[in-house]
Amino acid sequence: MKTIATYITVISLVFSLVGHSQQTNQKIEMTIDEIGNAKINISMTMNAAQWQQWNGTYGANPSALKRDMERSMPAFIVDDFKLDKDDMNRSFNLSLNAYGVCKIDKRGRWIMDTDQKDAQLTELTEHKYMLVSSPPEFGGTIQQTYMIEFPKSAHKIKVDKDSFGKSIFEFEMDNPSSSFNLMRWSGLLLIIVGGSWFGKNAIKKV
Amino acid sequence: MNSKLIPIVVTLIGALCFGGSFFLTNSSSGDLDVEIDKTAFIMPAAHRVYANPDALNGKYYLFKAKITNNSNTTLEDVTVKYRIPDYIDWTELTVSGEMFPGQTLVIPCYPKFKDDITQKTTESIEKAEIEISWDDAEEDDIIEEEFTFKLTNRNEYVYTGVKKEEISTWSDVYDNDALIACFVTPNDPVVKYYTQNLQEKLMKGEAASVSRKPEDGVKFLAGIYEGTRKSHMVYSGTKGIPQSTDDVQSMVQQVRLPREVITGNTGLCIELSCLYASVLSAAGIDPIIYMVPGHAYPGFKMNGQYYAIEATGINGEGLGGIMSAEDAFKKGQKQLEEFIQRSQSGDPRYTLIDIHAVNQQGATAMDLKDNDFMRKKVDDIVASWSGGQTVNQPNNPRKPAINPPNPTIRTSTGLSFAIPNGWQTMMRPVQDMPILTAQVIAPDQMTTVSVFDVPVSNTQQALATINQYFYNYGMEMQYQSNGNGIAGQTYSQNGTFNWVGKTIRTKNGIRFVAVGAPDYLYNQNSGIINQVYNSIR
Repeated sequence: MKTIATYITVISLVFSLVGHSQQTNQKIEMTIDEIGNAKINISMTMNAAQWQQWNGTYGANPSALKRDMERSMPAFIVDDFKLDKDDMNRSFNLSLNAYGVCKIDKRGRWIMDTDQKDAQLTELTEHKYMLVSSPPEFGGTIQQTYMIEFPKSAHKIKVDKDSFGKSIFEFEMDNPSSSFNLMRWSGLLLIIVGGSWFGKNAIKKV
Repeated sequence: MNSKLIPIVVTLIGALCFGGSFFLTNSSSGDLDVEIDKTAFIMPAAHRVYANPDALNGKYYLFKAKITNNSNTTLEDVTVKYRIPDYIDWTELTVSGEMFPGQTLVIPCYPKFKDDITQKTTESIEKAEIEISWDDAEEDDIIEEEFTFKLTNRNEYVYTGVKKEEISTWSDVYDNDALIACFVTPNDPVVKYYTQNLQEKLMKGEAASVSRKPEDGVKFLAGIYEGTRKSHMVYSGTKGIPQSTDDVQSMVQQVRLPREVITGNTGLCIELSCLYASVLSAAGIDPIIYMVPGHAYPGFKMNGQYYAIEATGINGEGLGGIMSAEDAFKKGQKQLEEFIQRSQSGDPRYTLIDIHAVNQQGATAMDLKDNDFMRKKVDDIVASWSGGQTVNQPNNPRKPAINPPNPTIRTSTGLSFAIPNGWQTMMRPVQDMPILTAQVIAPDQMTTVSVFDVPVSNTQQALATINQYFYNYGMEMQYQSNGNGIAGQTYSQNGTFNWVGKTIRTKNGIRFVAVGAPDYLYNQNSGIINQVYNSIR
């Protein structure tokens, strides 16, 4: 499963249409929910020439952007694309949902692959990590800052390596629907009520 | 009576609910929603790409399954497996330890077809079956899905996987362009045999991949052209490369393999380009295929510069106007000039395929077996180069024999080794690198033995000195000592070269002998590499 590296490719795809003359920053926010899906937000500001070229290819044809992103992310299913352009400031914000970003392995641990060797990960808070990347294929002209936010219920988050030496996130997270079982608690309540009632009647008889 | 009965009933209902909650939670009845995103076709030529999740960013899969647990129960050990009857047996794709209510699994499938799929000469419609099961699932609960897809014949090349109605740009038209590298087959024994004959019988020796001099590369390119011209190969003018974005007719094309172009003695522009690219690659030169509207032509890249030739200049006696190699090269260079101008001005119709670059991204050549009949056809072609005279049967490269050691390499004081038949020895091949005493090159022009004599006192210093020289050529060497031997890699703009070697102290310093091949060929050639390495004494 590819995650972060796939996004790098995708963002590079977005960027491949713009010039490489000056360094550009992209911000990618990934908010992971309690069932392993992610809400992704990509924002970027360009110079005038880059904006003109990007706008002509993808900005004016968001369906092509959607199609190319879908095809570049084989490990996921993505939907709910929303592209907000700010022509005045030559920037855009693209949001989408990605399903199946994290999965549970055979031992019951949640795993999120970065698909990068020795990823430069920084722990910002207990649930938030930052990854800064500069894809070599663009000669270091794109700096991408990823903010990866895990759900509050995730705990024991640690960065490890998989069998191929690539960085992965490992964490534990409880079943979000297991916190309250109506049937079980109702049954328990009825046992207590019925038992008390029976006991009370029995004492009265005595 | 009621005063006892009602509380007992309430307690019993409570107990049933309480107990039932455990059973229902662990019930195996899952409500899984399954969506399959399938590919429309599989090209056998690209079977290695489909099998590799890392190839071309994992873009080429058979299907992608989205499985969502819509029940309110957690499923354990959810297993997804698939099969393609007659091609791939049941194969497990993933096991998810748990699948929570609402959770989605996305599973791409990269099918590993057997190598003999490249012998498929007819297209067919095949069925893929998918089975999803989990712990304690009843027989009725197991989910089975299936879909059909087209399995093309080995020669079919589909220019794009983008649906017709979605094609809007040239990048959509050339969406599969990297897969053309699968039709470039430098490791095909028949192509190797043809290349070896070209080098030996027609060019009387060449060293472009070693000298890295563009003029040697151009000579080699012209040599390939001469080979096709002298064998009276003809250009067949069937429609080839798409000419416009709505040129649906050309989106699927039958591409004869280089071995078929050689033995059939005819080819389209794209087929001739694949032949040139295969021979160039087999000789250790970086091949390039230039794609322009309605046409393709081959060339190579050396020291950062690009070169091209008009391979279809052979035309044919029926067509007339057969160009000389010089004219074909001039025309190729003129086309290249236009290509560069157009691509620099942002014209997306002008694209090039750097075969070795896409090989490194996982688009590798199909596996082809040796064929005696085709070798005999190559012999006939070689005879036509020498005016119809029968040429001597060269050594069979399939069974490289070890020759008696070459006395120019074996010395009484330093390491020596046995040189296999047909390998070419070059003494002091690089004037600016006096420590490089000799290089011995295999017929594939890729597997190489290098002999260094470094006037220092120990191995570490010798390797450091060699590295210093390498820096001057934009190369860097990394290595690890392994007992008696040393294994390492040399990095350069041409890629990574893997090698193994040995050192020994001599009267004049340290002698270092290393044998290796580019990383993408190392495993394939490991037999002969180990043979040479074991003979170093």
